Amino acid sequence: MNVIEIKNLEKIYNGTAIQVKAINGVDLNIEEGEFTAIVGPSGSGKTTLLNMVGGLDSPTSGSIVVDKTDLSTLNQKQLVDFRLHNIGFVFQAYNLIPVLTAKENVSFIMEMQGAPKDQIAKRTREILESVGLGNRMNSRPNQLSGGQQQRVAVARALASKPKFIIADEPTANLDSKSTENLLDIMEELNRKENITFIFSTHDQRVVKKARRVIVLEDGKIVKDEKK
Amino acid sequence: MIWSIAWKNVWRNRKRSLVVIGAVTLGTIAGVFTAGMMKGWVNQRIESIVYTEISHVKIHQPEYLLNNEINYTIPNIDQIDRYVENQPNIIGYSKRLKLMAMAQTSGGNTALMLQGIQLNEEKNVCRVHQQLVENGGTFFDTNMSNPIVISDKTAEQLRIKNYKIEPETLDSLKILGVPDKIIRKLKTIENERFITEKLFKKAITSTLSKKGIKKYGSLIVETSKHYRLNSKIILTFNDIDGELIYQTYKVCGIFKTANTMFDQMTAYVLRDDLSAITGFGRTDFHEIAMIVNEETDPGQIRNEMREKFSGLSIMSWKDISPEAAMMTSFMDIWYLVIMGIILLALAFGIINTMLMAILERVKELGMLMAIGMNKKRVFRMIMLETIFLTMVGAVIGMVLGGILIAVTKHTGINFSSVGEGLEAMGWSAMVYPDIDFDFFLLVTAMVIVTGILSSITPARKALKLNPVEAIRTE
Repeated sequence: MNVIEIKNLEKIYNGTAIQVKAINGVDLNIEEGEFTAIVGPSGSGKTTLLNMVGGLDSPTSGSIVVDKTDLSTLNQKQLVDFRLHNIGFVFQAYNLIPVLTAKENVSFIMEMQGAPKDQIAKRTREILESVGLGNRMNSRPNQLSGGQQQRVAVARALASKPKFIIADEPTANLDSKSTENLLDIMEELNRKENITFIFSTHDQRVVKKARRVIVLEDGKIVKDEKK
Repeated sequence: MIWSIAWKNVWRNRKRSLVVIGAVTLGTIAGVFTAGMMKGWVNQRIESIVYTEISHVKIHQPEYLLNNEINYTIPNIDQIDRYVENQPNIIGYSKRLKLMAMAQTSGGNTALMLQGIQLNEEKNVCRVHQQLVENGGTFFDTNMSNPIVISDKTAEQLRIKNYKIEPETLDSLKILGVPDKIIRKLKTIENERFITEKLFKKAITSTLSKKGIKKYGSLIVETSKHYRLNSKIILTFNDIDGELIYQTYKVCGIFKTANTMFDQMTAYVLRDDLSAITGFGRTDFHEIAMIVNEETDPGQIRNEMREKFSGLSIMSWKDISPEAAMMTSFMDIWYLVIMGIILLALAFGIINTMLMAILERVKELGMLMAIGMNKKRVFRMIMLETIFLTMVGAVIGMVLGGILIAVTKHTGINFSSVGEGLEAMGWSAMVYPDIDFDFFLLVTAMVIVTGILSSITPARKALKLNPVEAIRTE
């Protein structure tokens, strides 16, 4: 079953002198349970594509349907709500809330969703244990290593029970050991719980683990390979 | 959780927050204390109006009020006596014979409104008997014939008060901590008598250094002050037939209230002494003054009495002194204005701090909006943070301001350096600040409103952020 259906997607930035086609007619389907890496040189449109799939940016033309919802039919307010309930985000720079502990960073998103308190506590513990941070639940981000912070970010993305997780260069700031560790965790979550991951990356280690690799160049898909 | 994040955000940049909190604290202390001082002053002024100058309800024969014509005494005193006896709410009741008189001594003369009082009655209505100056005699606790109690101001005008440095004065000053050097200098004017404060001050100014005057001047003046009790005063007034008569009175007490104007005009004599010479009868009175208990509205007693005694002028203190009555309600608005101005000034600092805080957290706010925090929540988070920031300072300020008021309520604050001007207007130079608990609730509400209003600009700034761009910010 397709989680994401993208048809004839275009994104044009109107500069002062020239028009830039960041995404130039992309057609793409992502199925549930995929572990997909989008690769390509800088400026190829990876991040733009992911921003549009994540409902953070709107296309110039074409459509994105996420789990039967056409994102172009949603207004800004509905989009925010849609993101909260359907999409998990992992950012390159972790972007945790520094004043909250690991536990609070994870449970916060469930509170925004309005989940019951006891359920929040239980799920928070389970998720943090699943990313190997069961013993660091009460640590603040500045007490954690980069790899640990990114694992909290993955846990946070998972907490909302999203349809898929978008990870924009998740390993760019990590050393190789942390990268290995993070990828193992994400792969396991994907395998065991059938969670769909879409990465944008330069990192060959991520590409190696991915089961589908999409190569973007100048806003077009030039290669789409399933392993 | 939003509450918790907002609270924790306050302490992210501890130093910056503490600066704002400090400013809010100081502002709140200033506001609370100023309000407390003004309230204390107003309370004292009203207490003085009621318990010294006017009383709660006053009765006159209407024509008497036109020109203080002494023939217009209050009729049917017996009926009023009976009515008051059956009114448990009236706790003080004094009937007075009032005459305009000219007072004269060898040193000076002045016009006075003589209050012919009955001692037991008067003590329940008027607190002048508690306001005698130090070494100022007694309130008719004497066997002398024709005693009179005059004010400190009148004593000065009649030259009954003088200033003299006697050997005992120097001993007292020594005990009070005045250095030997100054005592030695004061010895040069020992036993010299000065008939006014101005002359005495001039003398010590030429003797002592500026620093010495500043530090010990008022103490020396107070200690050197002497009243010539038992001095004779000749009073001239009209008797019941309109004949001009003279009588000699002896000063038995000196009082000083917070109102110089009242002091300047008022002198007390015993009613029986006055009636004996003027020919007024046992039931002749020009004025009745009454005090009611705390639970009773003087206006209500006035209305009841007006119905019962239709031919008389019956007025409450608010009728007689409407400006004082207005002062209480006006003050409530004034406190708000003071607090409002302080908070408005603080609001700019708070807005600035919050704008800085938003600027520092652009990336984080972008992330929050990206993962699904809606505008309402973002606004609420920033608003709560601003309210917390303001509230912490305000609560500390209110507690410290409250403590300051509680302490000074007992010790009082002395404004005697500008006291003369204040007292001339009827305001005490010694103020005992006071505050209602309601005021703190009001300040709390105002602080919350300030927090909400100050959060609008920073919150709008945050809401304008585009999550995609904000996340990319370094």
